[in-house]
Amino acid sequence: MRKSLLDHLLDWAGRIVLIAILAFVLLPFVVVAIASFNDGAILSFPPREWSWRWYANAFQYRDFGAGLTNSLKIAVFGATIALIAGAGFAYVLDRYEFRFKNTLNGILMSPLIIPNFTIGLGLLILSAAASLPRNLWLVVATHVVIVMPFVVRSVYVSLQNFERRFEQAAESLGGSPWHVLRTITLPLLAPGLASGGLFAAILSFNEFTASLFVVNQSTQTLPVAMYNYVREYADPTLAAVSVIYVLAVAVILLIVHKFFRLEKVLNVE
Amino acid sequence: MSSETRNDAAVQIDGVSKSFSGTVALEPIWLKIRRGEFLTLLGPSGCGKTTLLNLIAGFLEADEGELFIDRELVTQVPPHQREIGIVFQNYALFPHMTVAQNVAYGLRTRRVSKAETAERVAEALALVKLQDFADRRPRQLSGGQQQRVALARALVIRPRVLLLDEPFSALDRNLRTAMQVELREIQTRLGLTTVFVTHDQNEALSMSDRIAVMSQGRVRQIGAPDDIYDRPANLFVSTFVGDANLFDATLQGVQGGAAELIVGGAPLPVETYQEDLPEPGPVTLFVRPEQCRLTGAEEQGAVPAIVALSVYQGSYAELHLDCAAARGGRIMLRVPAAKALPAGIPVGIALPRTGPAIYAVEDADKEVA
Amino acid sequence: MTKRPFLGWFASPSILIAFGIAASFLAIVQYSFRANIPGALDPGGFTLENFTTLWKAIYGDAFLNTVLLCLWTAVFTLLIGYPLAYAMVRARSVRLRSAILLISLTPLFLGEIVRTYSWMIVLGNRGFLNAALMQMGLIDRPIPFMFTMTGVVIALVHFTLPIVVVMLAAGLSHIDRNLERAATSLGAGRVRVFLTVTLPLSIPGIVAATSTAFAWTFSAFATPQMIGGGQVQTISTLVYQVGFASFNFPLAASLSLTGLLFTVAVLAIFNTGIRRLERIGGH
Repeated sequence: MRKSLLDHLLDWAGRIVLIAILAFVLLPFVVVAIASFNDGAILSFPPREWSWRWYANAFQYRDFGAGLTNSLKIAVFGATIALIAGAGFAYVLDRYEFRFKNTLNGILMSPLIIPNFTIGLGLLILSAAASLPRNLWLVVATHVVIVMPFVVRSVYVSLQNFERRFEQAAESLGGSPWHVLRTITLPLLAPGLASGGLFAAILSFNEFTASLFVVNQSTQTLPVAMYNYVREYADPTLAAVSVIYVLAVAVILLIVHKFFRLEKVLNVE
Repeated sequence: MSSETRNDAAVQIDGVSKSFSGTVALEPIWLKIRRGEFLTLLGPSGCGKTTLLNLIAGFLEADEGELFIDRELVTQVPPHQREIGIVFQNYALFPHMTVAQNVAYGLRTRRVSKAETAERVAEALALVKLQDFADRRPRQLSGGQQQRVALARALVIRPRVLLLDEPFSALDRNLRTAMQVELREIQTRLGLTTVFVTHDQNEALSMSDRIAVMSQGRVRQIGAPDDIYDRPANLFVSTFVGDANLFDATLQGVQGGAAELIVGGAPLPVETYQEDLPEPGPVTLFVRPEQCRLTGAEEQGAVPAIVALSVYQGSYAELHLDCAAARGGRIMLRVPAAKALPAGIPVGIALPRTGPAIYAVEDADKEVA
Repeated sequence: MTKRPFLGWFASPSILIAFGIAASFLAIVQYSFRANIPGALDPGGFTLENFTTLWKAIYGDAFLNTVLLCLWTAVFTLLIGYPLAYAMVRARSVRLRSAILLISLTPLFLGEIVRTYSWMIVLGNRGFLNAALMQMGLIDRPIPFMFTMTGVVIALVHFTLPIVVVMLAAGLSHIDRNLERAATSLGAGRVRVFLTVTLPLSIPGIVAATSTAFAWTFSAFATPQMIGGGQVQTISTLVYQVGFASFNFPLAASLSLTGLLFTVAVLAIFNTGIRRLERIGGH
């Protein structure tokens, strides 16, 4: 098939546009990587001297370590709770009819449209009104509320694609409902549950706005600690933290992509 | 109902019906499946055959009516306590288990000892000739092998009834025939009561002891394959099972078991097996293609037609004929391939004196499959 | 026969969480009708004053800014996101598709802080962009991006892009390629195929992406807070400021509530639009 001049032009225009857009997406991460090696406390491009000192500083700054610990704890607890509750709800949503099903679904999905600052403010006011302590569990609860809809959606999609015949075959072979759930449904849903849980953990780890409302000095998460650092200091320590952050996430995503294929997880095949 | 007839029924369906959100999937149905019988539920998609199968299995709950398996009332019994074996269309082999684990599943749920489980699994795999595949995963097997595993898995629990939900539809033609023979052999050897769901009339005719032809949630006829094929009870059955040529005819009267008909202007006396003949007047006459005989155009009493298309089928040819007396203007005949005629040739069709069935016209309008 | 053996077990945790969500929402509603007692954390008696206060100019400006940010961000994100999504779904080589996928989606998992901070370094007066432009001799003095709408929109587009690409790609990937092939076989060139087949069929995805872009931008806090630096006040930054600088939680609550009602209204309009489009599409 011979291509016309117009086709060639379109091909080239498409390539240039695509490269420009990808450059836009990558630009801030490249710039932050360069900045992180800038020796001086005040930024300059290109850097006059290069050094690793801001990486050392990042590791020595206490709030980042404490924030990372908090964030990991919160992500693990929050994702686990959201996964258990969300998977259970996705199951009843897919399989059963019951009263107030739509109401329950509406409330649980509402954090998708309620802005995070409103969720944070609401839970802060609620905990104050109920005289609950502002501890780590309040942050965990906030994160559960925020990541639940994503877990429910992801597990629900897995359930919709689930071949019910497997369960029926197992039932016909004498498996009681619990037995079938344990030996057939859960093992076959495991990839969907794992990706849902991982997605929830990543979202929770990144959550900033709602956390800002509900944390205190001792429960601040890594993003909150980073935000507070920018407000106090102008040096490139945060650039170093950002580079580490980006690399860690990219590695995790590459692993996930290997095992689950992101196209599938995100339904863009 | 005498206790003897009830003893005879492995599955008894008493007035069971089912609707889905207002749409009737199954009208109240009465059916007895005999012990050791191979019964086929045959019908087009949406006829209710799969609904009936799911009701027997317990995956659906009947709206009304009662269901007995081995004289035990099971209407309210959940599927896992019904002791039924099922082979699904796509086999539903558990992908996360080996072949042996799949077959052992039903024994594990019954807490059968390890030694006995191993023995019975080996036995079941031997029955379907898959001894050497015990440690494979389902996806490493061919379609035919997967189906054998599904069968072994269903048989190993010694089910009271075996349900087959279109199990052959995913196989290619040669394999399908081989599997049909093999399944029927095993079924006969074990004397296993079997309910087989299919939309494929050839499969139904070749495998069954009895066939229940279904449409629109009702059983339209139940009987042995030759009953169904040779003496269809109504127009639906006649057109759904096998090929049918339909003619517009006029019934003039009945005299001593012979119906006086006019077809294509010529008189045709027909000996009929039917007990419920329609009223005299316009009727629809049903004739199997193999009962029609091709004659010269001028032959006395033959219905005139013109060859429209000849379709080569290997051992024979299908002649599609334009025929003014036929419903829809078309009929089909099979002739030896060597005798195929080119389009445009006028011919005559001689209709048989025995065998054709006569149905009321209004049935024909709504019931042609 | 128990037809719903797991209902109680499986629904209970989520019911508990739903009660939590409903309670926190009611807390906001309740606070927004209470008077603020300066210096005290507990609110005073019932009042409508919070809502009448909202008519003041600074609150009105925040609403206007938020709407403008949402609008501009949605427009630019769609313009940039559509080609990216198209390339992601349609690129011929698997490697290229994977690369585009990873590059465009990684930011989704990076959170607002890292991304916003990176843009601060790009957009600052001594930042990368101004340094580059000055070195090329295109400008003598740095262009102010920080603390301006332009800067906030640039960062917000980058923030919203990944989710918009996901939604557009999901829509594009579900278009039957044979429809395009059919159009080509009927003599349509590539441009015509795109304009008459691909683009119309991807409209539902575009509408869904737009409403999501709107919700994300509306919800954004770190970006307008850090890049706007108090000069570009939005509802989110205002709620935070009223709550944590003035400790006026009743007013913060009423601002949040008004903002939420506004979001719901906009999304409802979007949904009506989607339904209408689907009816035109013959779904």
